[in-house]
Amino acid sequence: MSSNRELTMSSYVGIGAGLMLIVGIEVILTYQHLPTRTLLFSLLCLASLEGFVAVMYLMHVKYEQPILFWTIFPATLFVLFLLCYLLPDAFRMASMRLLR
Amino acid sequence: MDQSSLAATTHHDLLTEASPYGIEKKKLGMWVFIVSDACTFGAFLFAYGYMRVGAPVWGTPFEFSSILNGLVMTAVLLSSSLTMLTAVRASQAGAKASAIKWLGITMLLGTIFAALHLREWFKLIGEGWRLFHNPTGGAAQFGATFFSVTGLHLSHVVTGVVALAFIARGYSRNRYDESHVETAGLYWHFVDLVWMFVFPLMYLMNAR
Repeated sequence: MSSNRELTMSSYVGIGAGLMLIVGIEVILTYQHLPTRTLLFSLLCLASLEGFVAVMYLMHVKYEQPILFWTIFPATLFVLFLLCYLLPDAFRMASMRLLR
Repeated sequence: MDQSSLAATTHHDLLTEASPYGIEKKKLGMWVFIVSDACTFGAFLFAYGYMRVGAPVWGTPFEFSSILNGLVMTAVLLSSSLTMLTAVRASQAGAKASAIKWLGITMLLGTIFAALHLREWFKLIGEGWRLFHNPTGGAAQFGATFFSVTGLHLSHVVTGVVALAFIARGYSRNRYDESHVETAGLYWHFVDLVWMFVFPLMYLMNAR
């Protein structure tokens, strides 16, 4: 994971253009009128890909010692994943709503 | 070696032990902040998802003009990440004037982003959107979630611009060095990273 060879500035511009391209794909997907769950899943996957590229290259984690990556990311992702533990309660709220 | 000198040596070794991560303390501190802030944003976005799932009717308030505005904001913020990278590289190369110039351009792009963001806010407020009022008759929570998530992000951008101004000033007066510029850059890239999730979830998922 770690490497001493940093990218050139033109490579970083390419990464920036790639990230902008992904955002463009997100906008195109939005106007394809996909089912909400499919759209949400697609957008989250693309945003996660963008986030990974940003962390590795723009935030230079690729060029740090691997222990930094392995200390920070699994724990953070696990905490964010644990938040979803409460999500079924939102479905319960929706089904319990009184109809007027 | 007697007991007291051994204790002194051990104490000194403890104080000077190298970081297991091979990075400076201020950079490690910034990473710890970023992790905690990522959890804060995660909780805000989760709360938005929770309310959206629980609401009977949510609504899609954003017309294409708002999405286009968001797209321009994304391009501005991404460009600012590249200018920040250039500033960090210039500072590491010892090109102080160039680093300060690129920090200035990054601040300018951050300010443009904030202005575009506020323009979107005022447009929504003009249409009658409030924290707890939905003018289209849908879920009132939309205003609360949208203004809180984007407001939290906007406050990070504004804080970043102010922090960059302080760093640029200190760096020009030799109070700060290139490691301060790099640490500030880490924060700025994080603000960009968060927007990569805020834009699709808050704007695109609410597009008409």
